[in-house]
Amino acid sequence: MTLFARRERRSPTANGRGAPRRRTVPRNQRLAPYLFVLPNMLIFAVFIVYPTINNFNISAYDSNNGRTFRYVGGRNYSELVDNAEFWAAARATALFAVCFVVLVTAASIGLAMLLDQRIRGRGLFRAVFFLPVLLSPVVVGLIWGWIFDRNNGLANTVLRGVGLGEPGWLINDKLAMTVVIFVALWTHVGFYTMIILAGLQGIDPTYHEAAMIDGASSWQRFRSVTLPLLRPTTMVVVILSMIAGFQAFDFIWTLTGGGPVGATTLMVQYIYQHAFESPIRYGLASAGSVVLFCTIFGLTALNFLYNHRKAAA
Amino acid sequence: MRRHAAILTAAGFAAALLTACSPGSSSDSGGAQQADEKKLTYVYFTDGPDEQATRNLIAEFEKQTGAKIDLQIVPFANLEQQLQARLSGDNAPDIARLSNIDPFRDDLLDLNAFEKSALDGQFIDGAKAYITGKDGGLLAVPSDLTMNGPMINVDQFKKANVALPDPKKPWTWTELIAAAKKVQQANKTQYAIAMDVSGHRFATMLSQYGTTYFTEDGQVALDKAKATAAVKQFADLNNSGAMPKDVWLQAGSKYKGANEVFLAQQVPVYISGNWQVSAFDKTAKFTWKAVPNPCQDRCGGFPGGKFMVSFKKSKHQKLAAQFIAWMNSAESQKKMCQQAAFLPTRKDLIASGIDFPTRGEDMNLFLADVKQTPADTYANVYNPAFSAAANAARDELAKVLAGKETPDAAVDAMRTAAQKALEVTK
Amino acid sequence: MTAQATRSKTRPAGTWTSTGDRRPPATGKVLTYAVLIALSIVVLAPVVWTVLSSFKTQAELAQRPPTILPDSFGLTNYTEAMQTFRFATYLKNSVVVTVGATVLTLMINTTAAYGLAKYNFRGRNFLFLVTLGTIMIPLQIILIPVYQVASDLHLVNSLWGLIIPPAATPTGVFLLRQYMLGIPDDLIEAARIDGAGEFRIFLRIIVPLCGAPIAVLTIFSVIWRWNDFLWPLIISQSQDKYTLPVALAQFDSQLVVPFNYILAMSVVSMLPVIIIFLVLQRHIVRGIASTGLK
Repeated sequence: MTLFARRERRSPTANGRGAPRRRTVPRNQRLAPYLFVLPNMLIFAVFIVYPTINNFNISAYDSNNGRTFRYVGGRNYSELVDNAEFWAAARATALFAVCFVVLVTAASIGLAMLLDQRIRGRGLFRAVFFLPVLLSPVVVGLIWGWIFDRNNGLANTVLRGVGLGEPGWLINDKLAMTVVIFVALWTHVGFYTMIILAGLQGIDPTYHEAAMIDGASSWQRFRSVTLPLLRPTTMVVVILSMIAGFQAFDFIWTLTGGGPVGATTLMVQYIYQHAFESPIRYGLASAGSVVLFCTIFGLTALNFLYNHRKAAA
Repeated sequence: MRRHAAILTAAGFAAALLTACSPGSSSDSGGAQQADEKKLTYVYFTDGPDEQATRNLIAEFEKQTGAKIDLQIVPFANLEQQLQARLSGDNAPDIARLSNIDPFRDDLLDLNAFEKSALDGQFIDGAKAYITGKDGGLLAVPSDLTMNGPMINVDQFKKANVALPDPKKPWTWTELIAAAKKVQQANKTQYAIAMDVSGHRFATMLSQYGTTYFTEDGQVALDKAKATAAVKQFADLNNSGAMPKDVWLQAGSKYKGANEVFLAQQVPVYISGNWQVSAFDKTAKFTWKAVPNPCQDRCGGFPGGKFMVSFKKSKHQKLAAQFIAWMNSAESQKKMCQQAAFLPTRKDLIASGIDFPTRGEDMNLFLADVKQTPADTYANVYNPAFSAAANAARDELAKVLAGKETPDAAVDAMRTAAQKALEVTK
Repeated sequence: MTAQATRSKTRPAGTWTSTGDRRPPATGKVLTYAVLIALSIVVLAPVVWTVLSSFKTQAELAQRPPTILPDSFGLTNYTEAMQTFRFATYLKNSVVVTVGATVLTLMINTTAAYGLAKYNFRGRNFLFLVTLGTIMIPLQIILIPVYQVASDLHLVNSLWGLIIPPAATPTGVFLLRQYMLGIPDDLIEAARIDGAGEFRIFLRIIVPLCGAPIAVLTIFSVIWRWNDFLWPLIISQSQDKYTLPVALAQFDSQLVVPFNYILAMSVVSMLPVIIIFLVLQRHIVRGIASTGLK
């Protein structure tokens, strides 16, 4: 993936001669880009950037209704640091995000490799794996919660049938987290598989031919040709899935409600509950979301830096 | 890149400066400009059949006054959130039905300013402190009273040859558990007793064991020994499989009714409240009835209630107050109670009693329990910190059921949470 | 992933449907099919189970062990569930919002992506960073500040409020920009020499080349807007402005709602997106496969 394309350093005419930029670009070409980006950026600014900055501001206040505010400075943050539930949510979020990113990346590469072969019904398989992406997260959580019900759920009906007992999927904290990760994979793997497939398509077949002439096995070719050339695509998957992982909320809300005993309560739910459930601590919730935002931002930046360095080396 | 970072920082600071004054909404003046048209919006949540009863009454009011009322039904789980949003914008409804008025105290209209003669002093005394504002105004009208209590599957009790309790001599908890377990075995149901996932429902059991979250003068009550006994009993019932532990743990921090288990005939005894009556009347495919709350240390159930409020930001304050007064007049409230199987909140109606056209026996049983219910329970449910304390109790119970906490420690944690909730709401 | 390779020299020319050109060996092929079919079952089973169960009565749902097929495929659950609320209104609102927001998204995202991809201007990298940054902010977190803005702009309780704010999708800008980077500058330059205006170049040259990513963005926008819940819940305040998911939640909120109704309504909410996906499917697979995410 080209993030900050090199050629952009030159003029838009891109003839690469290093002509002095300002003089060669006509006025309408200098104005045009601003007009092109204006409508979209205006909506960004009004509905995302401004409220987010306002949110930083709110995190310095205390409020029990989200409307009347009392200035408290940094006290919301120090309260967060002392709050055990906050750390529990942070740990759960980290665990969930790491597992989700690793598994979804591995699974989508694996699935894409399978689907990238010349097989019958490939289009059908792709459509099937994409199906969960289409469903509303609320409905996804609802369905899986019902399937994993210990007594009447489909999962345990099947397990009982083959004599494997009836695990309490949603009442044991480790199993519940496993279920949450599984459902997240089930929902998203189709989407990331499509991205990886696109990346595989972009790999020049001559590399594979050369490797084959050298007598490389298919595993060796996967390791030393496919994976390195797939790196930029993989990075997109890692970044997108990481952001999705840190934001997970709605399907978990209908699946486990964050339980049992907070085992699957992730950061967004923690924030949501403090903002909207009794006792309402709106400023505290804002402080939580500032922390979450900075975490995601920091990790994404690290990811970019690491990959740029790696690409440059 | 460094230059961009600088721009970003600068933009951030600029925007922060712009908003630094106060994050509240820009138009935070006291009263809203009043409009003349006779149109009201009423934000409502429903437990089922009460919706039609409300619509009938609205139609009558519209006919009498020529006003037009837009009933907007909102999911209970999202009610507070939507109201907060509407108030922070400039789209306050004229009337709302609430189960917890606390987050809105500063926004509520003093109804005494318009309808003092019709409303002041007409409603149960237990609610008085809760619905009175700092400057003595009437912020809300208790529109219906709820009473928690058990309902049983009569068919299953008959099959098991277990006698129903004598209304004059209620079960003790021990008797209730013994009876329920016997019926469970005879009918091979999954569970013996089910309770909604709710700290409010558990408060019923706490009260019967002799304690509550708060005292009448608003301090933390929660007697250590008594509360621990209740928590222990609750945990034993769940761990032995008599109660559906799964339902409690699977709900996480969502409200979850156990009514499905009861309706599926997988549990003979269901501890909920009178608001289930009219719905069960329609949906239950078996004979069922309400029975008196069990007596342990104390008798009676646990009250709850809904309120009707208007807002300072309403553009039709006078008409809104008039509508609230009309809906809670003796005549209207009686109709509402009869059609929706609600319990009255008006002193005169409680004194005179109500003839319930359907399931009268069950409703009167709940009404009888209202009289048995100790006074401090009202002080609890009308304490501003109640929902926070109840939510904490729900979470601590889940910890006990998951084997992560002893009943002893859970009670300590509930006390701490109740104390904190009191401080936050002060 | 596949088993030991045998080398096949022949390699048919790749079309979009056959991006891969490795011919797997026989044993590998069997294994591939086995894995794909097993995974398909895992993916499909819950959905099929939901559809089948949505025809069951409450008693059938409570039955242990559950039966696979319902007693009858009668539509009682569906008709009764729909009678409970003004289904046609909510469906219409959902369609209006989904179509309106998708059209707007396509318009402003493509222009923005073009500006970011093909021009060199002061603040461009900053704007691109902002775009990336906004991907990271979930609505739940900034709900009240956003609502205040919407309210100040009189977007509350109007379908415009559901169409405009979510229309500027950062993901859309990102995908389209990445794709446009791959379009040769010479093409644009040649058109400029022919005297074409900037907007004309965009409309006549760039947009036709972006069919694939536009198809992708269309389906995603449809999925997002159709399934949106939290934002419509806050913005749609009177019943005549409700969208389908909000109405569903209202249904779910009543204390005594039979689960069979909820299943039926869930199936109803799935159908339109699945149909649109099946219609657009060919374009989507091609689209994602060529979005330039490489």
